[in-house]
Amino acid sequence: MSMMTFLSEQEKLVLALRELYQGHGCVRFPMRRFEEYDLYLENKSFLTSKRVLSFTDGNGKLMALKPDVTLSIVKHASQGREGVEKLYYIESVYRQSATDHEFKEIEQIGVEYLGNVDRYATGEVIWLALESMSYCHGMYVLDISHMGLVGGLMEESGLAEEAHREVFRLISQKNAHELRSLLLKKGVSEENTKRFETLLTLSGTPEEVLNKAAELACNEESRRAVEELTDLYGDLKALDMQDHIRFDFSITSDMEYYNGIVFRGYVSGAPRAVLSGGRYDRLMTKMGKDADGIGFALYLDELNSLGQFMLPLKDPVDILATYSTQDDVAKVLADAKRLRDFKLRVYVTSSEKVDVEAYRHYRFNGERFVEVE
Amino acid sequence: MLNVALPKGRLGDKVYNLFKEIGYDCRAMEDSDRKLVLRDPDGQVSYLLVKPSDVAIYVEHGAADIGVVGKDVLLEGGNDVYELLDLGFGKCRMAEAAPVDFQENQQRPLRVATKYPHIAKKFYNGICREIEVIKLNGSIELAPILGLSDVIVDIVETGTTLKQNGLDVRREILPISARFIANKASMKFKEAQIRDIQAKLAAAIEEKAGEKK
Repeated sequence: MSMMTFLSEQEKLVLALRELYQGHGCVRFPMRRFEEYDLYLENKSFLTSKRVLSFTDGNGKLMALKPDVTLSIVKHASQGREGVEKLYYIESVYRQSATDHEFKEIEQIGVEYLGNVDRYATGEVIWLALESMSYCHGMYVLDISHMGLVGGLMEESGLAEEAHREVFRLISQKNAHELRSLLLKKGVSEENTKRFETLLTLSGTPEEVLNKAAELACNEESRRAVEELTDLYGDLKALDMQDHIRFDFSITSDMEYYNGIVFRGYVSGAPRAVLSGGRYDRLMTKMGKDADGIGFALYLDELNSLGQFMLPLKDPVDILATYSTQDDVAKVLADAKRLRDFKLRVYVTSSEKVDVEAYRHYRFNGERFVEVE
Repeated sequence: MLNVALPKGRLGDKVYNLFKEIGYDCRAMEDSDRKLVLRDPDGQVSYLLVKPSDVAIYVEHGAADIGVVGKDVLLEGGNDVYELLDLGFGKCRMAEAAPVDFQENQQRPLRVATKYPHIAKKFYNGICREIEVIKLNGSIELAPILGLSDVIVDIVETGTTLKQNGLDVRREILPISARFIANKASMKFKEAQIRDIQAKLAAAIEEKAGEKK
């Protein structure tokens, strides 16, 4: 009987993910449940839910229960530009639910790479994101976009800063009809309006999308973005996971924090994104850190509604020991005790067809258990 | 198989006819005994008939992959869905209306009766007018007559109901029409089919607009 039997599906998923991240050399980031309220006040637009649970500590200082983990990790990061610090976390965050406005405790697990985030590190983070979702039954896709593309287009069209938010909202809804009328009202040229429209409808397999995206690139920033995506796709092909990658430029994240690649993960059966991440060098700069950052979070509450997972977890016993029904039970017991006295984990059974993983298989020869080749 | 959420009633019938024209018919829909979930064994879609204000909720939570809903419902609900197409029918406007002889007192908050508190708050915030929202679920026109509110914010189609109750449109807030929406995750796994419907709907609407001219 495996130890895994006692764990719930969610606990098993968390264990499998921890094994995955640690297998890539990530270290768990230790954290407190609360932070100073100011951290969230200064970075309000980084948060997905704006309201924060606050309380005063013993010295009268205003504190908050963490609504987000990335900010805390960045705040405490000491990594410079030399090498990459690979971190993962499993933490509860406290957020207001979008539907009933009540506060909820949500378990979140995620990965953050800080430091000199080069092409390899970017590829590895995307790889981890894909693998994290591969534990779900059915289909999964990672939608990837690049903030440089929409950023370049905004700059080129001379769109006023205050219109950005509204434009982002319409792009994320793939709402071409309203975006068109808004842009024309704001005095954006017909040519650039067309570009925006194309951008928002561009989605699909990387091959389909990349050529069209190259036509959209109208300045240095957007050209670099397309180049970066082309490179990334070339790198990811080596992992043979390209069937799970789509490019979709309707993904937007706050430009105050995110600058490069941004991505969202979807699994069939879950109505919303289960994974969200991106590159946030601007957040690092804003927090006074001289380093790059990229990371993602998995929403365990969304995943849990799926119920079952395909987990690579193995919890093998040391020895699977089989005897036949003709064997003398007293002798079998005595020899099983001998094996147990070595502090070995032994699973003794008379059936050959048991679902138990074991490092070694022993069989009873009438006198004692001997190893089967 | 795609699940399509349609609003029960006149708008839903109109939308179903449009879907039928582009080849997504469902025999069960034609029967007189109106069930709420209509599956066609060999069809490509099933239809769910739900309360108009719930269409966007079904789509957002993935119970339906796509749907058709009024812009008023989308704005009020703030649902996280893709809005792919303006179908151009079911046209009306969201407007502020008041009794014909209404004189606004700027010294106190404006009392607004409405089914759409979110839209109303956003509109008055935009013009820096302090308001007091009174949320009602129907017969909004009664509110100013009985002194429950100063003005109302509601959808206006022809203006006949307003006139009958001695009300007049003071300010237009925004135009409303039916929108074709899709669940974000469904779009990842069933994009080809959803885009096909979108393109066919757009073509059908354009054709109709041409006929009218």
